[in-house]
Amino acid sequence: MVKVTIDGTELEFAAGTSLFDACRTARGEALPHFCYHPDLSVAGVCRLCQVEVEGMPKLTIACNTTVREGMVVHTRSEKVRRAAQQILEMHLINHPVDCPICDQAGECGLQDQYMTYGLYESEVGKSDKVHKAKVQVIGPRVVLDKERCVLCSRCVRFCDEVTRTGELGIFNRGDRAEIGVAPGRQLDNAYSLNTVDICPVGALTSLDFRFKKRVWLLRSTPSLCHGCATGCSVRVDHEAGTVYRLKPRRNPAVNGAWMCDEGRDTYRELHADTRLREPLLRRDGALRPATWPEAWATLAAAAGPAAPLGFAVVSPRQSLEEIALFAHLAAVLGAPAAGVSGGAREADRGEGDDLLRSADRAPNRAALAWLGLDEPAGADLAARVRAARGAVLVYGADPAADAPGWREAVAGRTVIHLGTHRNATAESADIVIPLGAWAEKDGLLVNRQGRVQASRRAIARPGLAQEDWRFLADWLAAAGATEFPASLPDLRRWVAGRVPALAGVDLNALPPEGLVPGAVAAGAGGER
Amino acid sequence: MNGKVHGYGGKMTLWERLYLGEIFRGLGITIRHVIRNLLHTGDMPTVQYPEEHRAYSPRFRGRHRLMKREDGTPRCVACMMCSTACPADCIHIVAEEHPDPAIEKAPASFEIDLLRCVYCGLCEEACPCDAIRMDTGIYDLAADSREKFWVDKEFLLNNTTDGTR
Ligand code: SF4
Ligand code: SF4
Ligand code: SF4
Ligand code: SF4
Ligand code: FES
Repeated sequence: MVKVTIDGTELEFAAGTSLFDACRTARGEALPHFCYHPDLSVAGVCRLCQVEVEGMPKLTIACNTTVREGMVVHTRSEKVRRAAQQILEMHLINHPVDCPICDQAGECGLQDQYMTYGLYESEVGKSDKVHKAKVQVIGPRVVLDKERCVLCSRCVRFCDEVTRTGELGIFNRGDRAEIGVAPGRQLDNAYSLNTVDICPVGALTSLDFRFKKRVWLLRSTPSLCHGCATGCSVRVDHEAGTVYRLKPRRNPAVNGAWMCDEGRDTYRELHADTRLREPLLRRDGALRPATWPEAWATLAAAAGPAAPLGFAVVSPRQSLEEIALFAHLAAVLGAPAAGVSGGAREADRGEGDDLLRSADRAPNRAALAWLGLDEPAGADLAARVRAARGAVLVYGADPAADAPGWREAVAGRTVIHLGTHRNATAESADIVIPLGAWAEKDGLLVNRQGRVQASRRAIARPGLAQEDWRFLADWLAAAGATEFPASLPDLRRWVAGRVPALAGVDLNALPPEGLVPGAVAAGAGGER
Repeated sequence: MNGKVHGYGGKMTLWERLYLGEIFRGLGITIRHVIRNLLHTGDMPTVQYPEEHRAYSPRFRGRHRLMKREDGTPRCVACMMCSTACPADCIHIVAEEHPDPAIEKAPASFEIDLLRCVYCGLCEEACPCDAIRMDTGIYDLAADSREKFWVDKEFLLNNTTDGTR
């Protein structure tokens, strides 16, 4: 440990700590900066983070300095403020300041910094600016505005160090220096939109999000990406019930500061035309909208005390609580339960890599194992369904799309579909119950590390769709069960009590980065 | 009130109570005004609305208009400053990519719900491009359905001072 005095306060830091991080701790806020990023190498090119270190002849940049015993640092002196002001003015020499049409406005480093360190009486004439290319589509997802770039090199370092694809570079020198893609290439790696996140200005913008919404109108909800078994921490940005984008939420234990491009697209399914908005019942051969009382009456007749349920399958896309409650419901209704991958089963196996993307596209497969549910392979599943008599209950999955032999196995039997979209299983079902999609409810996921993380409700459910756990609890009550939860915290306590791995874990008070149950007991943080 | 008010609480004189005399006096006043107005029509204080409109101050905030560029396309760049500033939340803009990269952003649709508008002028003030103005002087809004008060981009672009009301 080394002792450092920052702005008159003596603090201790581990040897090797960057002075930038030390100042952030001491000040409670970061120094002004563009190029520093905790998950990238130090470039030290923007010169904004200069601080005064006693004994040094000139100001020094904090990001490229490590703490030393006895260092005395000033971050709020007039000299430091003047330096930041002048540097910012330099960054603005050729900046177009077209904030009204810039998608970054509202979350722009230049705007934010200028509020504190602006010169306001600019010393640079507008007409002398060097103009560069605007609206350059440099890849399938990213648009570059060369004028707005402050040449912090974050995007270049990201492509060099994180994806190691090296598409981007800084070309030319002086005031002609600009970001560009290597000749004959495109910024088309699987993580390209992270460059948009880390670009401190509006030089890199997302083709998908561009002009859809001004960012100051958005509200953010901490959540999890449901795109694969990695379970990246994300934030859902939404307004008036519509989700506009997903952004990674920094979680060093899982995804660092990144997420993949494919995961960012998953918000679209929330607003698909095929969303189920009301209960549907098969009448005269066709699915027709029904009211909830009608749906309940039909459900009770199809799978109640009078007519025992035959078989129940659940998708590993549902949350831990939902799978647990569903398995319990199946037991009460007297049916065996199993897991089955949702969507086309093949779609659950995608391309993986050693960065974040898992080939397993189901976000919660580990929970199935925790709850003692197996996942029979396609033909096996059909055989087991055929062996059981009575109605078939499907939750969140789409076995009719591709599980071999499924359609034959359920032919002539009542199929109950609990889900969010009008998929093949819903189309061929007799009773279709509309429930909430992932951003419309609270839920826990267990990722491939065995880490339990919480996803939070961001928006309202469409139409008459019900909250999953409430629907399942209501059904349990209707089926005469003695054990059913009265609230979500109640449900989580009940789940923790049923899963041996979760002994002693309070599922209602998970840390923001989630936790790996075994690792907690062993005292390890759980590295990725 | 301290002053004496005729006919209200106070005692009426005999002449007043005789009724007819006062009636003719009142008719006389009316006829005098009619004749004077007929002889000096220019001095009449009545504005012949709706044929005539009173001249308002140039600062008066009337129905909005959208300004055009020289080529006739909207000057608005769909920055949403006006709709953000609007306290009535009645400006609805959908942005789109402009083919010219120097302009970059343009409104695909621009709608104002005039029935919700409180004519505060904050939209005008917020606009960085002087693209929305309330200087048309148009204050008489009348229509036979609510939908007609929901005006679109085309309407606002052609809503000039001398345009159709
Ligand atoms: S990058 Fe920031 S300062 Fe530059 S135009 Fe965009 S919002 Fe404005
Ligand atoms: S494009 Fe953005 S991230 Fe890349 S160097 Fe320029 S300002 Fe930095
Ligand atoms: S005048 Fe006021 S209320 Fe009306 S559109 Fe403009 S900002 Fe909104
Ligand atoms: S403030 Fe002006 S430029 Fe911006 S959206 Fe409104 S009218 Fe258009
Ligand atoms: S943040 Fe230190 S030089 Fe850029």
